[in-house]
Amino acid sequence: MEKEKEEKRYKSGLLRSLRPYKFNLERYTYTLHRITGVILILYLIAHVFEIYHLALGPVAWQQTMALLSSLGIWEKIGLWIIAGSALYHGANGLRLILNEAFGMLLGKPVLPEYPYTPTSLSRNQKIAIYTIVVIVVALWIWAGIYLLWGLGII
Amino acid sequence: MKVRIRRFDGQKAWWQDYEVDAKPSDTVLDILNRIREKHDHTLAFRQSCQMGSCGSCGMVINGLPALACQTRISELKTESIRLEPLYNYKVIKDLVVDLTDFVNKHRSVKPWMIRKNPQELEEAPMEFKVTPDQNLTFVQFDYCIMCGLCLAACPTVAIDPLFLGPQALAQAYRYIADPRDEGFEERIEILDDSHGVWRCHFAGACSYVCPKGVDPAKAIQYLKKEVLKYRLLHKKKASVKPAELIQKPPPANAPKPPPFDFKIEGGE
Amino acid sequence: METLDYDVAIVGTGLAGLRTAIEVLRRDKGRLGLRVAVISKLYLMRSHSVSAEGGTSAVLYPEEGDSFELMAWDTIKGSDFLADQDAVWRFVHIATQEIRLIERWGVPWNRRADGRIEQRWFGGLSFPRATYAQDKTGFFEMRALYDTLLKYENWDRFDENFVTSIVIENNEFKGFTAIDLKTGNFRYFRAKAGVIATGGAGQLYRITSMAASSTGDGYGLAYNAGLPLKDMEFVQFHPTGLVPRGILITEAARGEGAYLINKDGERFMKKYAPSKMELAPRDIVSRAIMKEIMEGRGIYDDNSGLYHVWLDMRHLGKEKIEERLPFIREIGLKYLGIDIVDQPLPIRPTVHYNMGGIHVDIDGKVLNANGSPVKGLWAAGEAACVSIHGSNRLGSNGTNECLVYGYIVGNDVYNYIEKERPALPNPSQNILLAEEDRIFGKILGKESGGEDVYQIKDELKDTMEKYVHVYRTGSDLEKAVIKIKELKERYKYIKLSDKSRIFNYNLEHALELGFMLDIAEVIARGALLRTESRGAHARLDYPNRDDANWLKHTIALKGAEGPLFSYIPVKITMWKPVARVY
Repeated sequence: MEKEKEEKRYKSGLLRSLRPYKFNLERYTYTLHRITGVILILYLIAHVFEIYHLALGPVAWQQTMALLSSLGIWEKIGLWIIAGSALYHGANGLRLILNEAFGMLLGKPVLPEYPYTPTSLSRNQKIAIYTIVVIVVALWIWAGIYLLWGLGII
Repeated sequence: MKVRIRRFDGQKAWWQDYEVDAKPSDTVLDILNRIREKHDHTLAFRQSCQMGSCGSCGMVINGLPALACQTRISELKTESIRLEPLYNYKVIKDLVVDLTDFVNKHRSVKPWMIRKNPQELEEAPMEFKVTPDQNLTFVQFDYCIMCGLCLAACPTVAIDPLFLGPQALAQAYRYIADPRDEGFEERIEILDDSHGVWRCHFAGACSYVCPKGVDPAKAIQYLKKEVLKYRLLHKKKASVKPAELIQKPPPANAPKPPPFDFKIEGGE
Repeated sequence: METLDYDVAIVGTGLAGLRTAIEVLRRDKGRLGLRVAVISKLYLMRSHSVSAEGGTSAVLYPEEGDSFELMAWDTIKGSDFLADQDAVWRFVHIATQEIRLIERWGVPWNRRADGRIEQRWFGGLSFPRATYAQDKTGFFEMRALYDTLLKYENWDRFDENFVTSIVIENNEFKGFTAIDLKTGNFRYFRAKAGVIATGGAGQLYRITSMAASSTGDGYGLAYNAGLPLKDMEFVQFHPTGLVPRGILITEAARGEGAYLINKDGERFMKKYAPSKMELAPRDIVSRAIMKEIMEGRGIYDDNSGLYHVWLDMRHLGKEKIEERLPFIREIGLKYLGIDIVDQPLPIRPTVHYNMGGIHVDIDGKVLNANGSPVKGLWAAGEAACVSIHGSNRLGSNGTNECLVYGYIVGNDVYNYIEKERPALPNPSQNILLAEEDRIFGKILGKESGGEDVYQIKDELKDTMEKYVHVYRTGSDLEKAVIKIKELKERYKYIKLSDKSRIFNYNLEHALELGFMLDIAEVIARGALLRTESRGAHARLDYPNRDDANWLKHTIALKGAEGPLFSYIPVKITMWKPVARVY
């Protein structure tokens, strides 16, 4: 059983790419960034499709709206996941822009000292990540409450 | 100690278990050598210097790419060891992987000294003037031993085999940051590509597994900054001022060498 | 069988091999369109030159008090006057330009504040002239050479090709035969010129600073092709190898001021080299350490069962260590969990270098049994013996020999092809077929016999470690000779359990073992014959240097019943031998 599982993991580059187990914190944020990115793209396609019904006239729009509200709580959960994705992807994206375009949070080139701890994955980077996580989670909880309130549950 | 090794003989792959004696001070490479010498002569793995400076023995140890020669059993803190060939490479036999792509990617970023006047590299009488501080800007990235662990750890290499990879990019930056080099523009054309710097999404796994502290992730982010500056602000040069050759001191000013403390007998 | 045609075939990709390849291509610049094959049994950049740590000697700033004469004198005195002085004189001059050349190719030498190259003390020098890049000098030099080689187009790399023989007919080089490890195919590299730069043979010993790949293949290749080996009995023991495995702790540690301390906490070097102390040449320090251990002033290590002394760097301070010896700190932490900032390292002598090698002339041309050059064959680096190092190499003279002789040989090869315009050789097919049959039929295909390659290798290492060590005696050496003879007999009955073609390391190790047994025999027999103590060759039964009888190079040729020895004079052009006191 275990061997089969390992066989499978072996073959798939995509699965390996998304599997941060054993690696560093930044690789976890990378996985999450990719997954939330895919969610946002799917949402964007669906959203364009939704807006497209607006052009088909009021009847079509009413039908679409009715379809969405017939999902009940699932519509809200969907929106909540999308909100979370957008929050994380945005906030982490800002951090990456600081890293990539401005070379911030990386540390200067140094003479490496054993045991080698890369400055690009150092304290500053971790602080930035934890800050992002705290802010995103807080906003996400707030978004959840807001959505539930809209549903009239609270 | 139980060791489970991913074997491959050209046609089929399988997991094989070995039971080996081990001291806590042994390295994984010691264990592998013991298996090959005492238990199974057919096991294939690369090795050379045995002190962590040649980069031959890269493999995946308990799920993390590492050098076998500098991983001690006591550090692993596990009852058994699981060894696999490096991820993201074609396996040739057992723990031996094909590094052809890897070395070609490295070569493609022109990792050599480029000067506007190539004659300076070949026939100058003196060395370039580089201060200790200037040395610091690139020496870290020159630590690379080309073991290939970073590509095995990189999640992007796993899905895009054409991506240049952390090793090649870090080496490109090593030369761009070197004040003696003037090949900035030539390299930027190669690096500014969808399979070049922009494919990197900064997972940092390369820096995490690097056995020599090269920190390729840092180099790549700096590289992106340089590329952006070049493209958006049309800066024609790297942010490093090129070094100049030291002039030979005039012989008239040179102090006389002190007399030798030995007696010359016979000879010329 | 696959035939590959090249103008120049270079075996070995350490500093000497790479430097030779670059020099040929650099001289050529596409003029003759020479094609170079770079053959290695490892990947490029895995060669053991990357482990060279301490420094590379050269006279850089003569205006500050150093001079070529001084460097030549240090080298010759260090060699215990067995060096060929004309070769040394040429060598010290070229070293300077080589250091500056590879600087411009990218080596990050440690610098002074004004941007010039920093130098430091090394054992046996009378001026601090060891140029260094932290304590990874060899590594950075390899990086610069490898990177520079990538710049050129006209060469092909043959990674993981194990060369099995040199094809020589009528005193003319005709190519190399090799196994491509990746496919297991037999290859014939047909070339107009060949260069052997395969390095040393540290793996003859158990405790060695040399890589698992340093098995002396070049010596074995030449010896089996009927070419003479020179001065093989001189095996350098580096004084400071980390207990237990012998990992190199660079001489630069002592160059920066480290102390050697015995059980009683005494700096014992004051008894052996009162003026130079720890910075005496390697043979003297190694002997001193072994003497301390033999006289019961060593420390016993429970884990490995070895005796050792301490190398103390605590007084240097963390800042200096981090700037100049970071790799030594890393090694201590990595392999023993010892931080050299606040603990001394346990060290004992470790096999480090072979002063001897393939008999070559001052241009690196390989000489045959009559002392005349073989047409089209060169050797460089540790594989060759010019001899610059005589009976003891000075620390920091190894890497620059590789660079200097890479340069000299590269130029000589190019001049040879440019002047003589040799055609591609055509050897008789029988030689090649016989070699293919020897490997794949007689060794790989053999079903009889029950001897195990690794068992024989183990016993060989034990024999060398026990009987042919720092201090040697006639009776020990005789025992070693008998044991090696027995192992050679048993080697004929080896049987391989791996019969596959792809990456058959079992086969590679069997072929290496064949070479190792030959070299071990040459070393032990040569040491037995040399009844004096000179440099790295120290006999307890003949404790003095004997210039009247032994100021000469040993030449070993393969005979039907083991090596045949003869002797040739040392070239003395500048200084007559004097007593060697430090």
